[in-house]
Amino acid sequence: MAHPETLDRLVRRVAAQVRRRRIEHYALRGAFWGSLVAVLALLFKQPLGGWALVVAGGALAVGTLGGALWGAMRRTPTADAARLADRAWQLEDRVATALEWAERPDRTPMVDALVADTVARVEQLEARMAARRVIPADGRLLPIPLALALALVLTPALPLPSGRLPDFSASGSEDPIEPHADATLMEDRAKPLAKDKLKSPAFEERDFATRAGGSGGAMAGDLSAIFKDTNLSSQRPDFQSFLKKGDDRLKLLEQADRLPDLQSDFTASQYKMVYRKSKSLTSGLRPDQISPQKLKELLEEMERLGRKGGANWQGDAAEGMEAMEGGQTDRAMEAMQRALDKMRAQDEASRSGKNLKGGRESNRGGLGRDRRGGDGGGPEDQDFGEGEGLLPGKGRSGAPKGEATGRLRASPYDVGVEGESRRGRKEGYDTNLTGKGGQMGSRLQYLGVIGQYRKMMEDAIARESVPRDFHSQIKDYFQALDER
Amino acid sequence: MTQDARVQDFVASFEALRAEVEKVIVGHREIINHVLIGMFAGGHVLLEGVPGLGKTLLIKTLAEGLELSFSRIQFTPDLMPADIIGTNIIVEDADGRKHFQFQQGPIFAHILLADEINRATPKTQSALLEGMQESAVTVGGVSRPLPGPFFVLATQNPIEMEGTYPLPEAQLDRFLFKLRVQYPALEELNAIIDRTTQAHPVTVDRVMSGARVMAFRELIREVPIAAHVRDLASTVIMATHPAWERSPEVARRFIRYGASPRGAQALVLGAKVRALAEGRFNVSMDDLRALAAPALRHRIILNFEGEAEGIDIDVLIAQIVASAEAATVQDKEPFLR
Repeated sequence: MAHPETLDRLVRRVAAQVRRRRIEHYALRGAFWGSLVAVLALLFKQPLGGWALVVAGGALAVGTLGGALWGAMRRTPTADAARLADRAWQLEDRVATALEWAERPDRTPMVDALVADTVARVEQLEARMAARRVIPADGRLLPIPLALALALVLTPALPLPSGRLPDFSASGSEDPIEPHADATLMEDRAKPLAKDKLKSPAFEERDFATRAGGSGGAMAGDLSAIFKDTNLSSQRPDFQSFLKKGDDRLKLLEQADRLPDLQSDFTASQYKMVYRKSKSLTSGLRPDQISPQKLKELLEEMERLGRKGGANWQGDAAEGMEAMEGGQTDRAMEAMQRALDKMRAQDEASRSGKNLKGGRESNRGGLGRDRRGGDGGGPEDQDFGEGEGLLPGKGRSGAPKGEATGRLRASPYDVGVEGESRRGRKEGYDTNLTGKGGQMGSRLQYLGVIGQYRKMMEDAIARESVPRDFHSQIKDYFQALDER
Repeated sequence: MTQDARVQDFVASFEALRAEVEKVIVGHREIINHVLIGMFAGGHVLLEGVPGLGKTLLIKTLAEGLELSFSRIQFTPDLMPADIIGTNIIVEDADGRKHFQFQQGPIFAHILLADEINRATPKTQSALLEGMQESAVTVGGVSRPLPGPFFVLATQNPIEMEGTYPLPEAQLDRFLFKLRVQYPALEELNAIIDRTTQAHPVTVDRVMSGARVMAFRELIREVPIAAHVRDLASTVIMATHPAWERSPEVARRFIRYGASPRGAQALVLGAKVRALAEGRFNVSMDDLRALAAPALRHRIILNFEGEAEGIDIDVLIAQIVASAEAATVQDKEPFLR
């Protein structure tokens, strides 16, 4: 077998070339970064003085030499050098294969032929660089920092900004400090000066006008209009505008009835609160089983609410309390029921007075007003007499079962609303997801109000002339809502 | 005989055989090379092309150039496995006693031309499987070896797919190469006209015996391959698998199933033959690049997206090879690593 010494020499030669290229490569990179440091040092030529040149030159030299050293220290594997030689001289992987297989124990006679063939070819190669020069990206930019550094060397030192802030004080410009002045004297002089300069003549005028009690608008120095609703108003107290704002708010408070009641929750009115308590008190119990103490507390609360609002159920509540003191629970219960009916009537009247739309109450309120010539509305304008409420057969309606809702037809045979319900299973909650309403977010907490609406529904079914066929459908609807 | 002389003998025989084939076949030099490489590598070759491009003629000419037996099977839908393998028939001896005697089918030949192989039923196609893989067939419980060298050259038509039975992947994998016979260029077509319409027919000389073919097959396996070249072959095969973590994006996107290890064997064996045919004693990366497409194009199955987008499998393989070379850091300057 031909000894692959020739191949080893070739690989060593290529490895040396690779090392040379590596030295160039990394020296360029080191020179680039070193030149950046040199530029930085030359920028501070003024404070560094003569050292700037030394530091700049040193950084450049250290960067270049360090990069070159790094490149020289890196080793090139033999296989890599062999492959590079194959590529450089188009040897079609002969050198790499021959070197790899020459050492293997399972080499075939073909390997000997390969080595011999490769050696013969390598000996005929002309010497040239196998490793091409690769200039790094930062090496290509090296002329820029070098030119910059040269320019900085040739030009005079750049004036650097001082660390102190510029002195804008009046004393600094108008009254220069004498170098031999006494420190105590300087303090005494500076304090009153600073105080006086902060206050402008316009502010003095405005303060004077305020103290004098004159109108702000007439005074020449009034800045309230300028400071109103601006950031400056929060920075600088302005008593004049403050007074003006106070007056505006007092005027608004005087017109409280015109304000929209945005915060009131119609689902948690006084009536409902008291009604809920009375229901929980009397649910499933006979009058003799009701706790007198709780009934008394409830009547007291109703009486207190009526006294506070000047309502007409105060007398009934007081009567119930008297009956309780006399031990007449039945009478107290009747009085409480009357008071509750009045509360409900007043509550509904107040809701219709708010001009809520879409409910039957608004229709009723509108009808009531029409009957009375359009006057009224609000708590005082009630449709029903004391204790009548909205129960069927009571009130001022001529109809024996109360006033028919708009949805019902006049014919007694018509027990349904217009249209037909669709066939198949009806899921009431689907109605929440369709139409225009489905695109709007809910404004009420669903779980918080569903129970209240359900009780209202039960009351409405009991009181109103809802067709019997629809009872189960309405209940199923609320049941479906509850299940969600 | 020295190794160098054996190699030179192979190179000369290879050239001589190619020259004999080129007496008849105009152009298609690469196809002829690949057919010869497939034969010397010990594999079977599937030729695909439209009718009239000389696929059958190429194989017949090759058989004429070799001192080997040749048989041709025209595959049809009613062809049965026994028509290929052979069957036991009742014969009567001189004493008047009857007994079964095996009647060899056309598969018992050195060179088998399976013309339009996709026109036979899968049952008949599979009759070739054992013969192609094991170089033996089993009839009536008796395994009968096929003559060596056994070389199957099959053709199929990519058009007229009606009434055909596309070869299953398992059978396609048995073929070392799948070659695409392209339409000849204008000058080649003129030469075909001149050569095939003249009064004197071309005669093909027999330049190689079966024994020499078998000897060359052994010689080919001695060709060394460097580790980095072998790594490239393995990486190419692995990169055809979309599930491999280092496979390129094109493979992940368009390939359903990648090449099998048999694909790697075909690639390296073919590369060895190609190297030796060029008088080289080692496998180079150029060999792998040249043979990647014929060795892998029938082993890669495109997914629906690849089929729908009309992805050319050869282009896809070229991209995979390029990405595999980049992945094995073959094309970078060593001092940048």
